[in-house]
Amino acid sequence: MKIPKLLQFVIATLVAYFIFQAPYLFLGKPIPASLIIMYMFFSVVMILMVLTSSEESTQELVGPIKALVEDPSKALVRNVVFVIVPVIAAIITYNQVKPSLESPVELRSTHPAPPSKLKVYGKSYDMMTLENPYRKLEKEDPEKFREFVKEGGEVYFQNCFYCHGDKLYGRGHYGQGFDPRPLPFQGKDTIAQLQESFVFWRITTGGPGLPKEATPWKSAMPVWEDFLTEDEVWKVILFIYDYTENIPRSWE
Amino acid sequence: MKKIFITIFLLMLVPVYAGAAGNADNGRKVYDKRCWWCHGEDGAGEGPAAEYLVPPPRDFTSVMFKFKTTPFDEVMPSDDDLFGMVKGKGDDKGGTVHNSIRNWRGMNDSSMPGWDDMLSDEEIWDVIAYIKGLAELEPPELGQLDFSSQVASSEDSIAKGKEIFKDNCTECHGQLGKGDGTKKLKDDAGYRTWPRNFTKAWSFRVNNDPRNIYARASIGIPGTQMPSFADPESKKKLSDEERWHVANYVASLDEPYKKPGNNTVIKAVRVEGDVPETSDNEAWAGAAFTSFYMVPQIIAEERLFTPSINSVSVKAVYNDNDIALLIEWDDRTKSLPGDEKAKEIADGDPLKDAFAVQLPVTLAPAGETEKPYFGMGSASKPVNIWHWIGESTTDPQALHLLEGKGFKDFAPRDAEPSGLKAQGVYDNGTWRVVMKRKLKTGVEQDLQFEEGKFIPISFAAWDGSNFDEGSKHVMTAWYWLLMEPKTGSGVVVWPLAIALLVFGGELLWLRSARKR
Repeated sequence: MKIPKLLQFVIATLVAYFIFQAPYLFLGKPIPASLIIMYMFFSVVMILMVLTSSEESTQELVGPIKALVEDPSKALVRNVVFVIVPVIAAIITYNQVKPSLESPVELRSTHPAPPSKLKVYGKSYDMMTLENPYRKLEKEDPEKFREFVKEGGEVYFQNCFYCHGDKLYGRGHYGQGFDPRPLPFQGKDTIAQLQESFVFWRITTGGPGLPKEATPWKSAMPVWEDFLTEDEVWKVILFIYDYTENIPRSWE
Repeated sequence: MKKIFITIFLLMLVPVYAGAAGNADNGRKVYDKRCWWCHGEDGAGEGPAAEYLVPPPRDFTSVMFKFKTTPFDEVMPSDDDLFGMVKGKGDDKGGTVHNSIRNWRGMNDSSMPGWDDMLSDEEIWDVIAYIKGLAELEPPELGQLDFSSQVASSEDSIAKGKEIFKDNCTECHGQLGKGDGTKKLKDDAGYRTWPRNFTKAWSFRVNNDPRNIYARASIGIPGTQMPSFADPESKKKLSDEERWHVANYVASLDEPYKKPGNNTVIKAVRVEGDVPETSDNEAWAGAAFTSFYMVPQIIAEERLFTPSINSVSVKAVYNDNDIALLIEWDDRTKSLPGDEKAKEIADGDPLKDAFAVQLPVTLAPAGETEKPYFGMGSASKPVNIWHWIGESTTDPQALHLLEGKGFKDFAPRDAEPSGLKAQGVYDNGTWRVVMKRKLKTGVEQDLQFEEGKFIPISFAAWDGSNFDEGSKHVMTAWYWLLMEPKTGSGVVVWPLAIALLVFGGELLWLRSARKR
């Protein structure tokens, strides 16, 4: 069975719309409406270009529409369509002009690019070569390593867990009071994607150390350089990777 | 035949009990990875996190379980009680999700999360087996509390419950059930405890299902001063039916508007006439509350780890000249320095209660969202802070206007030229403070309010009886204030014009088609 060209157009447009809405429907992470409008514009142009590639298919596409206006036997359908189209146009216009009471969308980069040099504890670190000094113990002295992981855990449960949570899920008992929410460490999309030097940077300089694209004015992450020693920071990093069974990313 | 069925039925029960028995060795592994941080290596509640927690983690060795459902004269909790506390009271096990703090499925208003997303039921039974060994728990001899006598909630039952509540509960729970009692409470281990605020169902450790309230009234809360009202030896013994009436009444006290939701915008409503300066004005009726969680300041020294205020509700109205905010928060104590009664409740002469509103000095240009740093701004992006301070026996209420240029970098200036005023009233466990200011002040360092713009706003509160002072306070993140613009005629005119235009186009098309 051959699908009429007009119907093909409608189906293709709906499919495109569904694809752009899918991240919201399935992941709860919407694409901003302004982007969807732009994507849809290009999609419709593309679909029209394909469907009007030859004279014949163009006729097939616009045929039913022409017939609607010209064929006297379709008068009833025509009258219905002629009423519905202006109503739809009015509704779309209304949605455009009505005052929006939705809060502004704040697009924010969760993992912004780190600086090349990090200045904390009165020293300057090269982010390209900065490594967790205790990581090598994992192979060289596993017993010592376990000890340091435990010490890191104590640091975590005395400083971090109110926000990042008992389960390292980013849902500590004070976490709900902050916006943006504290990051979870469980799962494969936060610390598993990062090098330990990045995590060290984020902990030691906190919210105020973020670059502009990460909205530093909103982050509640404290500047841990003020509270923890360098040693404690490296140990707590060991702990958060160990507890969540994540492996830090490395340059190789 | 019948015997076979009974045998099969009994066999089906075996795995259930096997599960309930749990493997303590496996449980130990889970405990040593997940639980000891708070509850301690030996289960005595002295893990590394313990000193920062209110309420403190349970000391299993004390054999006192606050939220058990075995009768008051039975010390031991049931296996199901332990299971429910570890798994979380989420949506099964007699709980309902709608009460809980957002994203929190464990015991509300505490740091005990629900573990069902990380531990399997089997692992939970294992860890319970291990804890039972640690604490030397024995199986309860008396069974579960019997809920079969439940009296369904009704106007009549709630009215009866209210009378019983008045005579038996208000000393600790307050006249309106906000936990603003007149009695200082401590638990058996010497920790200060506060009675539950019944108007915030989302903060109930378990939830406010009448069955759970009935359980607390019947069993008491072991280890605390909440007694059993089923104990025949108690002077305050209530009949079974009376306890159900009280439970129904307490459940009815919930004020859902106080539960912080996903709404981040306070919508200021335009009013005719003057904006109110007091909280009892009718003009407030047209505006709705937006509620936010308040969490302690744990970002910079000196930090607070023992918060006593957990949320704030705000509404706003404005006219051509002024804007007013009604700020309402529950505080169990009116902290009145110099007052003997306040001193007794607070454990020493209290400090003054206080509240602050933070606003940027300048709004970000259209399309941008940059705000001042939420911790009191910065030199390049300063903030306005409206700091209201409660009274003492000698001082009246006060209002300071501060210029914030960074954490602890602030200077007071005269509030008079900005037309800033504030007036607070304390009523049975709730502070209601109205802050009012001119929309446009002509003062360079002031925010100038603009209709239809999203204005960043955040809040901080100090409970003087909790000795909150300086940077030790509770706070919110940045949210929004929006002065809802009057919807102009354009909202009607434009869609109509477009519809007519489209219709006209259709007619032209039709005409040209007919001509052919």
